[in-house]
Amino acid sequence: MVSDQDEFLRETMGAMDLVFNLSRRLTDRRQDAEDLVQDTFLQAFRAWKDHRRPKRVEPWLATICLNLARSRYRARARRPADVSLEEWMVRSSADPESLAVGRIEREELYRAMQGLPEEQRVAIALVDLSGCSTYEAAEIMRTPRGTVLSRLHRGRRALARLLGDRIEEVIR
Amino acid sequence: MIRWMRRWPRRPHDPERNAAEYVTGELPKRARRWFEAHLLGCEDCWREVLLGRLGRRVAEEAREQAPAGLRDRVRAAVQLTGEAGPAGARDPFGP
Repeated sequence: MVSDQDEFLRETMGAMDLVFNLSRRLTDRRQDAEDLVQDTFLQAFRAWKDHRRPKRVEPWLATICLNLARSRYRARARRPADVSLEEWMVRSSADPESLAVGRIEREELYRAMQGLPEEQRVAIALVDLSGCSTYEAAEIMRTPRGTVLSRLHRGRRALARLLGDRIEEVIR
Repeated sequence: MIRWMRRWPRRPHDPERNAAEYVTGELPKRARRWFEAHLLGCEDCWREVLLGRLGRRVAEEAREQAPAGLRDRVRAAVQLTGEAGPAGARDPFGP
């Protein structure tokens, strides 16, 4: 007979990258992100043992992760979001040429993502990093789908500015 | 969908929303074809789609794989919690 934990792990471990990427956008430090991932899986397992099992584990885990982050980590998290992306770019004296896709340092990219308002960051993490549909993201974020689309696009647009001069060349 | 396409030209459209749906790949096939034709004549939507695509590429660069050690840690924590039963349902690695 398969134990609860074996069944749970078999069904949910495939969503580990999703939860990890979401956690990375919700916390400032890697260690906090890893703790959040573990807490998410443990809370999900408790629900699983109580026979509260979802149809799809990805949106379910993402919802638990988001709720945990908001309730337990948000208050103590430092808020780089107080600094706008543009301000951050000026402060870091980044050379626009070096910010082209493929040459952006991971750390810079991470900081730029963290510089987005939380709702835009979460929308991007769910849709672009985790592969959720905007319908699923709307359910997870408890907001209308139109709002998710707007947040998603504004976040993407802010990140596109990382391309600096090159994007202007493309658009002209 | 046909209703959606018929309505579109008569309504003020929302380039942000339209671009987000298009870039995410959530427009149904016929709507996508219509929107692609629309893009050729709409500077606002064209610009937003370019920005949206580039932003998505930048975002995707940030995708990370969960470290193997974390997978092991989560597996161990779940196994321990399961074995501990209801009384031990707290995080075994927690305070």
